[in-house]
Amino acid sequence: MEALRTEESIMEFLNNALISCEKCHLCNTVCPVCDPRVSQGPYGINRSIYYGLKWNQFTEKLRDLVYSCTTCGKCVVKCKGVSRALPLVEIIENARELLLVEKMLGPMPEQRNVLKNMHVRGNPWGNAPHERTDWAKGLDISSAASDTHVDVLYFVGCASSYDPQAQKIAKNLSNILKQAGVNFGILEKEVCSGHEARRMGETGLFQFLSEANMALFEQAGINHIVTGDPHSFYSFCNEYPFGNNGPKVQHYAHFLNELIDKGQLKLVSNVSKKVTYHDPCYLGRRSDVYDEPRKLIKTIPGVELVEMDKCREDSDCCGMGGGRMWMEPPETLVSSQAIANNRVRQALDTGAEILLTACPFCNITLNDAVKTLQKEDVIQVMDITELIVSAL
Amino acid sequence: MNLNPEEIAHVLRKIVGDEYVFTDVFERIAYADTSLPYDVEETDLPDVVVHPSDAREISEILKYANANGIAVTTYGSGTSLIFGTKPKHRGISLSTERLKYFDIREDHQWFECGAGVKAGYAIDALGKLGYFLPIQTQAGSSIGGAVSVNTIGHLTDNVFGRPVNNVLALEVVLPTGEIIETGSECLRRSAGWDLARIFIGSEGVLGIITKVRMVLHPTPETVDAVGFFKSTEEIGRVIGLMYEKKLPLPMDGEFVGEKACKVGYEAYGLDFPEGALAVTRSMGWTKEEALRNANLLVDLFKSAGATDAFILEDETVRKQVWGVRENAMRWGQEKGLKGYLAIEVNPVLPRLPEAMKELVHITEGRKDLIGETSNYVYGHVGSDSLHCLFAFPYDWSTEKMKQVVDEIWNLEKDLQLKYGGVGGDWGWLPHRVPFYREKYGEVSYGIIKKMKQLFDPNNILNRGNVEGEV
Repeated sequence: MEALRTEESIMEFLNNALISCEKCHLCNTVCPVCDPRVSQGPYGINRSIYYGLKWNQFTEKLRDLVYSCTTCGKCVVKCKGVSRALPLVEIIENARELLLVEKMLGPMPEQRNVLKNMHVRGNPWGNAPHERTDWAKGLDISSAASDTHVDVLYFVGCASSYDPQAQKIAKNLSNILKQAGVNFGILEKEVCSGHEARRMGETGLFQFLSEANMALFEQAGINHIVTGDPHSFYSFCNEYPFGNNGPKVQHYAHFLNELIDKGQLKLVSNVSKKVTYHDPCYLGRRSDVYDEPRKLIKTIPGVELVEMDKCREDSDCCGMGGGRMWMEPPETLVSSQAIANNRVRQALDTGAEILLTACPFCNITLNDAVKTLQKEDVIQVMDITELIVSAL
Repeated sequence: MNLNPEEIAHVLRKIVGDEYVFTDVFERIAYADTSLPYDVEETDLPDVVVHPSDAREISEILKYANANGIAVTTYGSGTSLIFGTKPKHRGISLSTERLKYFDIREDHQWFECGAGVKAGYAIDALGKLGYFLPIQTQAGSSIGGAVSVNTIGHLTDNVFGRPVNNVLALEVVLPTGEIIETGSECLRRSAGWDLARIFIGSEGVLGIITKVRMVLHPTPETVDAVGFFKSTEEIGRVIGLMYEKKLPLPMDGEFVGEKACKVGYEAYGLDFPEGALAVTRSMGWTKEEALRNANLLVDLFKSAGATDAFILEDETVRKQVWGVRENAMRWGQEKGLKGYLAIEVNPVLPRLPEAMKELVHITEGRKDLIGETSNYVYGHVGSDSLHCLFAFPYDWSTEKMKQVVDEIWNLEKDLQLKYGGVGGDWGWLPHRVPFYREKYGEVSYGIIKKMKQLFDPNNILNRGNVEGEV
């Protein structure tokens, strides 16, 4: 497990990282949150943290700025490409940890209950733990346990377990795995991956949740995890201390392509649709998975994939990452709805009938944006799994 | 008249609405910090940051500020490398970021935009219709800021002209609050008096540009080429030959010195010849014409002693070569030298090789603080903008940093005077005022001050910039 970090070590990291900002402002040009004030984007936030430390100014204004970031990482790519390669998202996460753990200022007020729910009930919404697998009732899905060996653990994640709209992802992916004859199971006592707790700066809670999940993986003898949640995927691959003998972890985009390549999964029905694909930040930019979802989409018979102007590394965020799913920033900062609306408009520009994604958060957010923009009759938001099911 | 910040904010809220006036410290920091290597102090911050939405609101703000003698510093995007946006006398920082109007009129062959539109947005919007923005500045720069400085990098100004050549009209709010319109709605620019030309390049001290109308330029076809040379000064000689032989000028022409190339090649794992590189973007109205023009440069490079030169056909290699140029500023940090300051030297063409050689070796044998820095040379060769970045450790004290900044700016002044240059990329105000006075004399500088007084009798707008306060 990670060693506990001291206030001094966090402040030292922040100061060393921030002191070399070139102040070119190019990060702001790609930030979904920065519109139109320079103070809102990565530049303004990083300057606020830097001077907050220097002048010992820790206030709610600073908290609001630091928690407004979606952690999409687009600024990181820009800074690496043309400036000083500052770890801008790591800076935000460290600042949140400092504000939450050391300064008692974080998280945002609406997020406090979310963290409490994660701690007490193992999910951010506060649903009862025993309802986690309700979506699977009647689907005859195995429970992975010490006495029930499965080849693949499907780690469902909280959104697909509890959110009625995202539950479709869980049902569709399970259906696909069954069709392919995969010996898979789910964990009845799965808890939140902790990804969002870590994004909000609650590193202790992340540690608690990751330990709980790792114990469950070990008890059930899991050596292969597949998930449809890019946030969990990112944490498993980058933040869970699995060590050298940890399980193989895949997003379903990897795994389903493998099944298709081996001939285990056959997509036979023609789906005559023009689609576009939204790269989820934690699958694309943060995990460098761009090709696999596209390969999967192109495998579906009759599907025409058109790209949005901003795609792959340049993809815009849906607005709900980094803990923003559970907060609405103050009125003087850009709303999550505005960010999502912007992304849906880009999808509409392609003329696609379906906006595909591979993340339950993006799915929920972009669906809401389509409704807000009253474009339900023009474009549908779907997870890739839904389109695949229609091609089985 | 001394008004407290809350009184000022109260009045501004009545003009622009509560949500567009900020007094908290973090908002004020964002509008005060600059790319100077040392930090701002609390006393450098504006009292209030205001975000008006249009010329009418700006007019009301300026009338109020003028009546009460409150300093107003205009903020476009804050990318100024001469530090014009840093408030010198607190007061109000007036941001043009909300002026985002954008309209392309193909039937009139111009586009019009609010001063707060960013270059990156304009480039994308124009590009979709087959046009390009004839202001080569970084994507985050505001159009209003770029026009007020009359700035442009690369070679584009030798080919398409500077903003002053491409702006058809401006809307400007004067420091006393009057809103004026200048210029033309047709493509023909005014002969004789055209007040637009007074505001373009006056660096925001005579009025606030709120709207810009610029001529449309169709995007040409382009082909990139690269030449590798044993030394930077060889590139200087080749550029002289390019003009001498009357070759078609590329729209971009960049170079990277030996030291920056070395770290750049290492960073990208490139196996390019040692030495310096020149990279060009030739244009034509057909791909064939652009290729022909690029090949002429490749032939020139080879005949002038390049160790290698070729057309950048491979997209990966093309990106890597431009990446070496784009990242030239960051190599100092790669070596653990986090502080930096860059200068601009614009030599007369015959002395380009000599100036390049001097810049490459500029830190050697010096006894001052510049001698303790590490320097990297790069720039827009052909439009004669040589940049030299001085990198130094960030743990230097503020006093030491201020001292090295003064030394570097003095060096820039001496080099410009020696080689006959002007401020090609970044303008004059405020930090180049001593250079301006030495180059053009007190009569010329006095004219600027008199013009400032005529337009801004109470010296509210960007106060301190004409005076040379940084």
